[in-house]
Amino acid sequence: MDIISARGLSVGYGKTEVLRDLTFGVPEGRITVVLGVSGSGKSTLLKTLAGLLPPLGGGFAFDGAPVDYRSEASLALVYRRIGVLYQGGALLNGLTLAENVALPIRMHFPDLPEDMVLDMVHAGLAQVEMADAASKYPAELSGGMRKRGALARALALDPDVVFCDEPSSGLDPITSSRLDGLLLRLKETFGMTLVVVTHELRSIERVADRVLVLHDGRLHFDDEASALAGADDAFIRTFFLKESAP
Amino acid sequence: MSGTPSAAPPERVLLPKRLRAAEVVDALADLRRRPENASVVLDFGQVEEFDSAALAFVGYVRSRRLPVVAANVGGALARAEESFVRRPPAEPVPAPPEDGRAGRFARACADRFLDRVRALGRFLAMLGDEAYHIGGYLRTRRGVYPGETWNQMFFMGYQSYPIVCLLLFLVGVTISITSAEQLRVFGADAYIADIIGYAMLRELVPLMTGVILAGKVGAAVTAELASMTVLEEVDALRTMGLVPEKFLMVPRLLAITLVVPLLVAMADVAGILGGMIVARVTFGMLPAAFLEQMTNTVDWVDFAWGLAKTVVFGWAVVVGAGFKGLTVGRSAEEVGRATTESVVLSITMIIVLDCVFAFIIY
Repeated sequence: MDIISARGLSVGYGKTEVLRDLTFGVPEGRITVVLGVSGSGKSTLLKTLAGLLPPLGGGFAFDGAPVDYRSEASLALVYRRIGVLYQGGALLNGLTLAENVALPIRMHFPDLPEDMVLDMVHAGLAQVEMADAASKYPAELSGGMRKRGALARALALDPDVVFCDEPSSGLDPITSSRLDGLLLRLKETFGMTLVVVTHELRSIERVADRVLVLHDGRLHFDDEASALAGADDAFIRTFFLKESAP
Repeated sequence: MSGTPSAAPPERVLLPKRLRAAEVVDALADLRRRPENASVVLDFGQVEEFDSAALAFVGYVRSRRLPVVAANVGGALARAEESFVRRPPAEPVPAPPEDGRAGRFARACADRFLDRVRALGRFLAMLGDEAYHIGGYLRTRRGVYPGETWNQMFFMGYQSYPIVCLLLFLVGVTISITSAEQLRVFGADAYIADIIGYAMLRELVPLMTGVILAGKVGAAVTAELASMTVLEEVDALRTMGLVPEKFLMVPRLLAITLVVPLLVAMADVAGILGGMIVARVTFGMLPAAFLEQMTNTVDWVDFAWGLAKTVVFGWAVVVGAGFKGLTVGRSAEEVGRATTESVVLSITMIIVLDCVFAFIIY
């Protein structure tokens, strides 16, 4: 079953259409990888699905309910069920890592006892192997640590869907592999749905169940990851099999 | 190179082994020194070491229909030239609209005006949102990070009062010296206390405090919020289900509301003290006499008006700064631009509001 289903979705900024007429589904409990070359509109699509950028045409439904960008209540429902891992982490610089992770918990459940909040924060940070860095500020963390910390924050309210915007970018292969391992564990242990935007081939091979390929402003490929190897398409072959561009 | 150029045999110029950008510049300078119609053959035969400037030079010579021809382009240079992707021919420039220069100017003015109107609409919408969010927060005490209002009060109040007091003290001294000169002419020395008290409480303290807040607090708020916007922290707040316009702005608005009365009181004291010192030095007026004379003219209503004005100026500064910070684009350079615009916007609003207050009060 698809937890997100888009129909005729067009996305972009202002009057500039970056992607048009996309129809696809994001299956529940699986990892869907959105890929494409730089500038193909991957992050723009992610922002639209995360409720940050209104679509220029068409629309999408979240768990069967159409998302209405003009309705705060409709967007609030989406925000309550998603977590987003931003490309740079987007941790608040004025707060420690633990305070960052505690932020959504404290703001949504202000009546929870502080001891419980701290336990939840510790468990979240331990899940991403960052419990030792709880009292550090984002500026004191490496790029990989910031991303893991940001993942802990994205998971703080146990979302149904986690969007990850280029989680491996700027990371060394070992850190990138650890992060991929974390994403796989989230899917396998908690049955979480993940939408991962990337163009890192190794990451795709490791985590993807389903793949959406964006090219030339359109959805170029929408199938199981296993179907990529047999895809008879020049762009896919160039992208994956590293053949030189025609 | 005298005589009829077309009749003269072409001159052969042998280009050097190393033909890179510097040598290409020299070759072009050499061509420019020759008469316009001089026929030249550029011999590339010796060229072994070259760069993209050399490849562009070959293309330049071939495409210009000059009486200059390229010869002996071979070997590595010829191969490189084949793979050198040339610029596509320029697209024809579309004909300008028929309404001419005046029409284009009018359209540009209209577009700019509409942009300003839209921005004003967004600003007023934000103003309304903030009033709603403050009301909501005071009712439910939710949606704002605990302790953030205190942090903002520390920054806006504790870190601002030294500069506010110093500047207002100096303003008091300056106004006093300027007035003393004129008052002495008319023998109205005693009225210096009235002038200082009235001017400070009603006008100078609110205006100067507002301008200092615009420069110090407004710029800092815009820079912070704009950086957060560029670094996607504002998006992160939104996807956490928080309302950034509330989470970030309400503590700042509450803080400015709470610290302004303290700042105004200290600034009033500093300004009057400055005037009092000058009156003592210039006219030998005792502080007690100064205060007695001053309280004959000014009373708590003047203080209250000054306070009310400064609180409104403070709100204008914070809302203006927040508006600029939260509506910034996505590039780092826009943070600087937004900060500058925020200060200009805040000072403009302060002066406009001061004018409005002048009509109301007097």
